[in-house]
Amino acid sequence: MSKEEVDTVREQLERFIGQPMGAPATAPEAVNVPMIRHWVDALDDRNPVYLDDEVAAKTRFGGLVAPPAMLQAWTMPRPKIEGIAERGGAPDEMGAENVVTALDQAGYVGTLATNSELEFFRYLRPGDLLQTTNSLESISERKRTGLGLGYFVTWVTRFKTSDAEEVGRQLFRIFKFDPATIGGAS
Amino acid sequence: MGPVMGREMGREMDREMDRDKEPAPPLGVCVGDALPPFVLPVTSTVIVAGAIASRDFMPAHHDSAFARAQGAPDMFMNILTTNGYVSRFVTDWAGPEAMIRKIAIRLGAPAIPGQPLSFSGEIAQVSDEGDERVIEVTIRAANDLGDHATGTVVVSLPLRRPLSRSSA
Repeated sequence: MSKEEVDTVREQLERFIGQPMGAPATAPEAVNVPMIRHWVDALDDRNPVYLDDEVAAKTRFGGLVAPPAMLQAWTMPRPKIEGIAERGGAPDEMGAENVVTALDQAGYVGTLATNSELEFFRYLRPGDLLQTTNSLESISERKRTGLGLGYFVTWVTRFKTSDAEEVGRQLFRIFKFDPATIGGAS
Repeated sequence: MGPVMGREMGREMDREMDRDKEPAPPLGVCVGDALPPFVLPVTSTVIVAGAIASRDFMPAHHDSAFARAQGAPDMFMNILTTNGYVSRFVTDWAGPEAMIRKIAIRLGAPAIPGQPLSFSGEIAQVSDEGDERVIEVTIRAANDLGDHATGTVVVSLPLRRPLSRSSA
């Protein structure tokens, strides 16, 4: 592709910017101690504010709180195990067309997560029921990297409780690339 | 050498502060102090336990053959688990009163079985906001493949405790 040529793929992606990446999601269940215990044991994180009522009550949290990094775990979609490998790891059938499926169709099938920025406005407590909304923040111009040609795609997910209090936010950036262009000339 | 000396001095300060019933460590940290290092022996079990606890069933996080077919060297740790260990690394040091405000990481080399992850951290900034001390920590988790995650954690600590100090 010559430099003068218009990047038609990028032009078609413009319409996704500022739009939701998918439908709003509600957590399958409220923040709860069994899932916290599972996480605490899996990561061997012995911070007492997660499971020790007595210690947690004496801290500024005033009681048990969920590990902050579990934020995303609460709203992960329930997986459909059958066929998950064939779907490339997607927990369920992809819904409406979005920027990722559009890039897949244009040949940019490779995906590499490059950045995660989690912000926590308050710690979650058992009983909090989370909902998420997300929006596509930006799509870069086409870039050449060590993985070949592709686009950086950035979106932001907002986490709110059922009474609309925003408790956290995540900015996530991936690089969608065409594996056939690794090391190739532009 | 520098950061180690800084930490020793910080501990000395903490002891002085304890004597005067002043806030407990790590409120007395200074820019440049290092966090106690932590090495996570990454195994298949560590990766799978984290993936399932975070409800992430993507095969790349439990199925080595699938991960290799996708071009990865082996099954690899999911991002939720990485964020979980980064959080644990900071709160193991900062204690139960700590509140993580932000974890911003750039992702690099995969964390795979047989490659221990070395966590290191250094205090980049300390400031007070109202009744909280806000500490920015530069963190790095690396293995033999390179930097797995690098970035910043912002953690806050209360300057005064609402109740008497717990024994924890």
